Amino acid sequence: MSVKINIPSYLQSFTNDSEVIEVDGSTIHECLNHLIKKFPEIGDKVFAKDGELHNYVTIYVDGEFAYQEQLVKPVEDGTELHLLYVLGGG
Amino acid sequence: MLTNDELERYDRQIIMKGFGEAGQEKLKRAKVVVAGSGGLGSPAAIYLAAAGVGTIRVIDHDEVELGNLNRQILHWDRDLSRSKVDSAAEKLSQLNPGVRIEPVAETINEDNISSLVTGFDAIVDAMDNFPTRYLLNRAAIENNIPFVHGAVYGLEGRAMTVIPGKTACLRCVYRGLPPEEKFPVIGVTPAVIGSIQATEVIKHIVGIGKLLVNRLLVYDGLNMKFTLLDVKRNPDCEHCGRPAGGGRQ
Repeated sequence: MSVKINIPSYLQSFTNDSEVIEVDGSTIHECLNHLIKKFPEIGDKVFAKDGELHNYVTIYVDGEFAYQEQLVKPVEDGTELHLLYVLGGG
Repeated sequence: MLTNDELERYDRQIIMKGFGEAGQEKLKRAKVVVAGSGGLGSPAAIYLAAAGVGTIRVIDHDEVELGNLNRQILHWDRDLSRSKVDSAAEKLSQLNPGVRIEPVAETINEDNISSLVTGFDAIVDAMDNFPTRYLLNRAAIENNIPFVHGAVYGLEGRAMTVIPGKTACLRCVYRGLPPEEKFPVIGVTPAVIGSIQATEVIKHIVGIGKLLVNRLLVYDGLNMKFTLLDVKRNPDCEHCGRPAGGGRQ
């Protein structure tokens, strides 16, 4: 399955300044793993040491919020993911 | 009842569809908390004051520093070392003497949060840290006060409106805290997001338009994109979840 991942500007320095990365995977988790395979330095920005998403990272699937437990759910070809970081600045 | 001066001052917004003198009177009676008078709080408070929101409580415990002045447009070079809320109150009162500005130079914490927001019609989240944002979110829900979240980083921003008991809250969307760091930012980013927050408050008070609820606005100034992402109310949310889910409401 070909899936697009939108990268927040905060993390684009880890994806050669690319805003959108195309990956393969049949679940959200697989897609994120493929992203990390392409850009290893982004790995510890997305997942904590225990393998869970950092609690300040959120994923949206085709514009809809996805909970941690939904990472194992299948994705369809053409799905668009948004990877978001909690922003703290004001 | 609006005075002749007020009718003239607000004429351009009174003639907006759905606004009218009735809308302006609602703004005049409204009380809004702006939590923070920095990058977000400056434009939010300026536009709320200019629009004629009757009472604006500005809360901030900081003093003005040189490193604030690239973005915190309520504070000027001559205000260095001055209390931010005093600096803000002076400018806002000069902008619109018909608006009551309540400067509160306190640190928002669990003990004072309820007393700081009780009786107000809306809360603008213009903080620069997430622990206080979560405190405000919870207090907004407990006191049934609409809450307008905003946050920035560099040329990126977020905004979302929370109607307690009805729509997703900040805690439904976020669980953790961002990594601690000195965040990069240029003034135009909080200018965009702070203005959106003020827009949401005005729409809510006047009762016009569609609020930014159950949607997270993602602003990417670098690529000039606005993206709306759907968010859902989490039944198990620590702040707004139903009692069966262990929540407070």
